[in-house]
Amino acid sequence: MNPGLKLLLVMAIALEISFTQSLIVNVILICVSFIYILFNRVTFKALIGLIFWPLFPALGLFVSQWLYGSAGIHFAWILFTRIYAYVFLGATFTLTSSITDLALTLEQDFRLPSKFAYGVLAAFNLMPKINEEVQIIKTSALMRGEALHFWSPKLYFKAILSSIQWSQNLAEAMTSHGFVEDQGRTHYRVIKITAMDWVWFIGLFGIVQVLLFFIRY
Amino acid sequence: MDNKTQPATNREHQSKWTLRNIILIALIAIFTGIIFWGAGFLYTALTVVLTPIGAAPFANDLLMGLWCMAGPLTGFVVRTFGSAFVGEFLGAAVEVFLGGQWGAGAFISGLVQGIGSELGFAFTGYKRYDWVGLNASIFTTVVVTFAWDMIKNGYNKFGIPLLLALFVTRYISTFIFGGVLTKMIVRLLDRSNAFSL
Repeated sequence: MNPGLKLLLVMAIALEISFTQSLIVNVILICVSFIYILFNRVTFKALIGLIFWPLFPALGLFVSQWLYGSAGIHFAWILFTRIYAYVFLGATFTLTSSITDLALTLEQDFRLPSKFAYGVLAAFNLMPKINEEVQIIKTSALMRGEALHFWSPKLYFKAILSSIQWSQNLAEAMTSHGFVEDQGRTHYRVIKITAMDWVWFIGLFGIVQVLLFFIRY
Repeated sequence: MDNKTQPATNREHQSKWTLRNIILIALIAIFTGIIFWGAGFLYTALTVVLTPIGAAPFANDLLMGLWCMAGPLTGFVVRTFGSAFVGEFLGAAVEVFLGGQWGAGAFISGLVQGIGSELGFAFTGYKRYDWVGLNASIFTTVVVTFAWDMIKNGYNKFGIPLLLALFVTRYISTFIFGGVLTKMIVRLLDRSNAFSL
């Protein structure tokens, strides 16, 4: 499925289950997403992580709602499953789509201005480098006997300085490679939204509507 | 072609949506996203401690300010319509791609937090890049995200005293991280003339 449409679908469903209160639909969404993920060759470790980490917020919400909420245990279970529904819905997107494909389709099919698509893509591709830079900033501060934590203004200050410098370099590099802002582009890799994509999108979204309409528990 | 868009020394300038500024916003969002990622254990640890007494939502509210920092930061660095929203949203998107424990929820939280953060700057007409503008952004962030948690995390089923306590906690957290810390960072940037780079 087209990554842009898939993201839209996932977000629309996630938004919808935030407002509706159906335990069964939440569980159905979790199961369907889970099966979908299994078919997409996910590693065992990633799968365990998906199940384990959300347990903390889900359990936390459950217990507090159970103890202090006015809506009883059924609502507590809805919140519990809601967290997992978010996570598994999100995973159906993140585990199967690449950021590059998403940027390409957002530009070509969703009319996102190319400077946003490629600008953000350029920044996201620097993610490993940014991770490194954070370590470098922390380490060089340590060498001066200064420990930087997430509450230290200096850490963010230096991160922003790097960002300013890198954004300048990246923008110039893109310009010198022939990227012109606000100009039409031709595409080496064309991503289209096919009829089949629309069928899946409308079909799945429709099914969720029907489920939410009929299953109120 | 000149990618420099921010004129030197002029502090009242309005920025534009140029390629360079878009990359800048995205980079700052990713930096903050990665720094919070390192603090992710905090949330889990707090939740583990607070769950037995049913106070786990406080972990969420205690750290809210931290999660909402990208918005005010990018809003201050690139001073134009939408920069706080885009920065905050991308910051949340980073968490999704790093494989956070929120999944699709983080996208939506990012949207909500972005709108909250942006509203404050909008209310001041993108003219007050000072303590007033920052406080407006803090206020709208707290109100909008709290309203969202009423629905999403079921806060609306709690009694008034608990709600009040959660709200105050969130306000303090957002004030400290989104306000005081942001202010300190902006002051450092000001002193180093980074805005004219």
